[in-house]
Amino acid sequence: MAPVIDIKNVTKEFKVLNRREGLAGSIKDLFSRDYKTVRAVDNITMSIEQGEIVGYLGPNGAGKSTTIKMMTGVLEPTSGEILVNGKLPYKNRSKNAQNIGVVFGQRSQLWWALPLVESFRLLKDIYQISDEDYDGMMKLYQSLVDIEPLLHKPVRQMSLGQRTLSDILAAFLHNPKIVFLDEPTIGLDVSMKAKIRTLIHALNKEKNTTVILTTHDMGDVDALCRRIVIIDKGKMLYDNDISHLKGFFGSYRTLKIRVGGDLKKEAEVIGKEFPALKVEADDEWISILVDEDKITVMEVLTKLQKMRRVRDMQLEEISTEDVIKKIYEEGVE
Amino acid sequence: MNLKKYLSLTRNGIMESLQFRLSMFIVFVGNLLYLIVVYFLWKAIYASSGEEVVNGMTFSDTLIYLVLATALFNFMEMYTVWQMGRAIQSGAIVLTLLKPMEIRRYMFWEYSGNFVVNFFATLLPTFIVVSVVTHGAIPLGLNLLYFVISVVMAVIINYNIDFFVGTICLYTESIWGINIMKQVIVLLLSGATIPIAFFPETIRTIVYWLPFQSIYNSPLTLLLGKSSDIKDVGIVLGTQLVWVAVTYAISKLFWKISLPQITVNGG
Repeated sequence: MAPVIDIKNVTKEFKVLNRREGLAGSIKDLFSRDYKTVRAVDNITMSIEQGEIVGYLGPNGAGKSTTIKMMTGVLEPTSGEILVNGKLPYKNRSKNAQNIGVVFGQRSQLWWALPLVESFRLLKDIYQISDEDYDGMMKLYQSLVDIEPLLHKPVRQMSLGQRTLSDILAAFLHNPKIVFLDEPTIGLDVSMKAKIRTLIHALNKEKNTTVILTTHDMGDVDALCRRIVIIDKGKMLYDNDISHLKGFFGSYRTLKIRVGGDLKKEAEVIGKEFPALKVEADDEWISILVDEDKITVMEVLTKLQKMRRVRDMQLEEISTEDVIKKIYEEGVE
Repeated sequence: MNLKKYLSLTRNGIMESLQFRLSMFIVFVGNLLYLIVVYFLWKAIYASSGEEVVNGMTFSDTLIYLVLATALFNFMEMYTVWQMGRAIQSGAIVLTLLKPMEIRRYMFWEYSGNFVVNFFATLLPTFIVVSVVTHGAIPLGLNLLYFVISVVMAVIINYNIDFFVGTICLYTESIWGINIMKQVIVLLLSGATIPIAFFPETIRTIVYWLPFQSIYNSPLTLLLGKSSDIKDVGIVLGTQLVWVAVTYAISKLFWKISLPQITVNGG
């Protein structure tokens, strides 16, 4: 089967005016032709199959939103090729729009002053959804979340969580092939996050919708994505199964200990003792990242106990977050 | 063309506009104040001229014209420049671009509900009040039909100009100055604030060759029946039709040329 999204060697550059500081600088800027080129996305290649949920991760400013905007057709790649459903999205934006749904973080496409159902009715008409499909979708929504009270509530009276939920439902309403979710769980409480994850998961299962999800929340990734793509400074760092990534870093464990005295100073001393390990201290714990291929946690602990009296200890599996942090810092190799 | 999706936008627009009852009341009070100022201003102008008829218009002619122009302004002003400017600055325009509908159409129909509300809230009441108070300054005949046709075209011309100016925001990323400039130019050159008859000869000639007078002057001239001759009506409506086509083509082309500001430069 042909991939639903096919990205080949895509690069996106922006021209940005070099701004000067101060009032005099601002005045000079009015006449400035001094542009610099910023490469937001640098030679990215990936292809995504129908029905996948892909977690698209990276620090702020990594180029995630730029990539998504290129896939939706709002941005045109500087070079390379993107095909969505076999077409160039920026050349067929309106047609492409029929096949995609989007939720952009804090921005809402819903009618602010009106009850949610009015926004849905409008979407039904502009996406030309048949009565049957619309009713079917509403039934599905009803079975997944308690949508009835939301439908009759004006959007401006909703909590952030309810609004995000509604926006996600609105994006899926016309049963698009692909839904782009740009940081959908940002700013939400734990129970709402869980609700939204369950919803996305169910909709993906039920309708075989491809979901591209950008997020900073590893909980989202762990709950939803089998595959993750990591990008930083426009470059692709990783594109594979999440389990593969964990296996890759599986031999790492974090040993946390508590000793008497100033933890920062103690951490330095310990750092000197184990130059190969990464030692950090916060207010409560000294964390030591141990690569068990080289030295076992037990060995480290035995050594430590000879140096200091260890009052308390914890052993943590490396989390996806740590893995990604490590990739950001060091790369995959 | 599937009309349903457009009417659906109109429907939501009506409902949303009705949510803001207080704002409708405030607009009403604001207009009343404006009209009081207009009344005294022109009273003073006529008093100082010492003549009954200035530039072919009596005091009540002028006042009726300006009252109707104000009502028409409230009916037609779409604040498209604001909408576009804000959407461009905040980046929310991306969502509108991703509708399965051309953005010019989407924005027009999204606003269209307000036309319906404003028609019943300001235009029709003003019309009736003027009609009753002046005992027939507005002839009730074919001119009403011409007026309706003319207003429809005026709305389109006005929207095209607004959309054109809104597109400039893609380059400037600021709204305030551009919007004010547009408003001053349109209101002055369209005859919305001063009847065009009061302009000096040369300026009047220039104004007649510009699209702005097709927005306020044309419908009001037809309504007040100054030229009931079918040939004159034909010229006014014909001129408007030409401007509909020209402004549509220009604003559409300008948008097409400017869109890469978003798609290439990221807005």
